[in-house]
Amino acid sequence: MFQKSLVYWKMASIKDIKIDLNELEKEKKKNFEERLKFIDWWVDYMKRHSDKDWSEDQNKVIDSQFKKI
Amino acid sequence: MEYNYKKKEIRINRSLNELDKFVIDFTNLLDEYVVVSGYVSILLGRTRATEDVDLLIPKIDSYKFRKLWDKIHENEFDCLNTSDFEEAFNMLEEHAIRFARKGIPLPNMEFKIIKNELDKFSYDNKIKVILNFNILYISPLELQIAYKLFLGSDKDIEDARHIYRLLKEKINKQELLYSLEKLNVSKKFGLLENGEH
Repeated sequence: MFQKSLVYWKMASIKDIKIDLNELEKEKKKNFEERLKFIDWWVDYMKRHSDKDWSEDQNKVIDSQFKKI
Repeated sequence: MEYNYKKKEIRINRSLNELDKFVIDFTNLLDEYVVVSGYVSILLGRTRATEDVDLLIPKIDSYKFRKLWDKIHENEFDCLNTSDFEEAFNMLEEHAIRFARKGIPLPNMEFKIIKNELDKFSYDNKIKVILNFNILYISPLELQIAYKLFLGSDKDIEDARHIYRLLKEKINKQELLYSLEKLNVSKKFGLLENGEH
């Protein structure tokens, strides 16, 4: 019985849920501010390390996009 | 990384990634160009990927473009829009055309003709980047920062902030203020400093 109701719950339509757009906007803003903080952190990291060192870290992000299939 | 504002020159000695290699291989085929937008911040260390690189070239006639077209194809690049030279040349009048390594659509080079004064300013005031033993030309950083604020997406603001925070002590503040003013984004300056505007 419990399993059955869980299935029904999972299949509920999005029209039935309440979404607080203000809360989502706040979350979006917070996320963006955290991204900006990361930019500052990364720039500090770059300044404290040699070009060779930071670029090896950066390349992990970039090269992962272009991995040969 | 060293930036000499007066010499309009940046020196970087770092490991190359696949995107750098793509840009270097392609730009080595060109005599005159300037790289603008997202790749500039990536070249300067921003930790994000991109699927395209924006590049501007001065107006080109059909004869010169034919020679360049052949050279590009001989070097294992393809145009993604069309395989027909005439069609590509006509498209170039109005739109960007894209080139990629043969059979590998990403990343690709968005290839555009200089069309307005802003483009021309970027080209005329380009900065030489000496990346290990390779040379690349990029748009002036002050304009690049302002233009990214003008575009205004989160990603663009992050790009602007990265360049600003990295080279804050070296960039020309007056020129940055003029650039912000020209693009009507002076109010967004706070995003570079503290994330507020």
